Amino acid sequence: MNYGPLIFLAAFFALATSWFGMVLTPHAQVGHLQPTNTVPDGLTYPVGRAGLARQGLDVYRANGCEYCHSQQVRQTGMVCDVLLTDAGTNQPAVIQKLLKLVPEASEASLKEKLASLPQPIKEHIGRSEAEALVKALAVGDVKAELWVVPVGPDISRGWGRRRTVAEDFLYDYPYMPGSQRVGPDLADVGARLPDVSWQLRHLYAPTVDVKGSPMPPYRYLFAKQKSEHGGSPEALTNLGDHAPPTGYEIVPRAEAKALVAYLLSLRANEALFDAPFTVPSAPATNAAPGTATNAAPVTATNAPAPAK
Amino acid sequence: MSADSNTQVMDRSLPQEENGPVPVWLIILGFILVYVGLVYFDEYGGWFHEQVYAPYRSYEQVLTWQPMPAGDDLTPLGKLVYNKPTCVTCHQADGNGTPGQFPPLASSDWVNEAEPGRLIRIVLNGLTGPITVNGKSFNSTMVPWKDQLSDKDVAAVITYVRQNKAWGNKAGAVKPEQVAKIRAALKDRAQAFTPDELLKISPAE
Repeated sequence: MNYGPLIFLAAFFALATSWFGMVLTPHAQVGHLQPTNTVPDGLTYPVGRAGLARQGLDVYRANGCEYCHSQQVRQTGMVCDVLLTDAGTNQPAVIQKLLKLVPEASEASLKEKLASLPQPIKEHIGRSEAEALVKALAVGDVKAELWVVPVGPDISRGWGRRRTVAEDFLYDYPYMPGSQRVGPDLADVGARLPDVSWQLRHLYAPTVDVKGSPMPPYRYLFAKQKSEHGGSPEALTNLGDHAPPTGYEIVPRAEAKALVAYLLSLRANEALFDAPFTVPSAPATNAAPGTATNAAPVTATNAPAPAK
Repeated sequence: MSADSNTQVMDRSLPQEENGPVPVWLIILGFILVYVGLVYFDEYGGWFHEQVYAPYRSYEQVLTWQPMPAGDDLTPLGKLVYNKPTCVTCHQADGNGTPGQFPPLASSDWVNEAEPGRLIRIVLNGLTGPITVNGKSFNSTMVPWKDQLSDKDVAAVITYVRQNKAWGNKAGAVKPEQVAKIRAALKDRAQAFTPDELLKISPAE
């Protein structure tokens, strides 16, 4: 028998469905994406990368950074934090009320909290519980706020404040979300490690700042030259064991500067409509540990603290 | 014997397919696969909405998770609606519009009217035709928002615009009930308003 037409139809059907599902549907879904606005500030997001950072994207691609670093933060859910923003005039009454509402808190710790408001009262709880707590707390001149906080394995590693969305890659071509994580995720590395000299040193000698880093050194992005006229202002510092011999210095080539400009432009952490979270208002940033955990550097071996 | 009949004999000697029932376990497996697939789609598919990502399951869920301060103040919701993006596309984030194309909302005489009746009608049904705002004339079209925005959304966004001190606006707030009343009155009207028509309507109505 001649099965030719049947085999042709089956193969056509198989290819057509995968084309429909993996090319046409995503194109219809996000192919027309436009810049959006941050919520609630209404600023345009994303803004295109500056010229040097755009060149850095090509350096990132040429050196295969995306084989070991991803740029996609996963999120598994949303939780709520309840913050006390104003304790009003009758503080002892507030403390008594808090002791009843939050049994695990001690009176001494609450007194300490009330001294520097706003302070989180209860963190990482469900929406309805948080709403009930805010309602119970915010009576009279006492004010409480409900913050929505994204959670997930990547977020608790300190790799971002929210999940990655399609808009984050809007102006990039090719976009490199990555598929493996030999190193940490870089979706918001520009906000996490904004120190240019740290980034350059890390490219030249990764183990100086991160003990045991498996990252290869990218020495060909740098030049070793005689230190003349008091030395170049761009020369790398604090190289430790990897320092050049006396009289010489290590300076970044154009590629290294472009790559670092690109890395610092990776800041996928704005609050958007499709990835909402409460943006702490400026004075609250220092006082609220809930946000400090997100902004603070991580303890993972290959995601060290930025030089402060 | 010709070559043709020879082939026929060989064909007949080949083993032939026979009909048999599809095994029950295969049918059950098929149903289980389809069921798991649908549950997975419901969990992570977001019904193909471009602004719905996991862990959100629907657009409505994304809406409910927008950070909102507690209380009856509609301004934060209004800011959210304004930047959704809806109004911001033409009237801009600073409310100044686009000179020559889209009129400003900041310090605008139309926005700062004592009663919001005309504004509610504009947002619900849209606007077309020449209009004079702050002494400058504009002639473009505003789309209707009645199908996209709820009464609360419309009230919130107009409240946000009218009470935006940074834009120099200081008119009164709008309640969802006011919007609901006008929406009911405009139930049978599909076409946009013209400025002349609006000027004939008392803003308090």
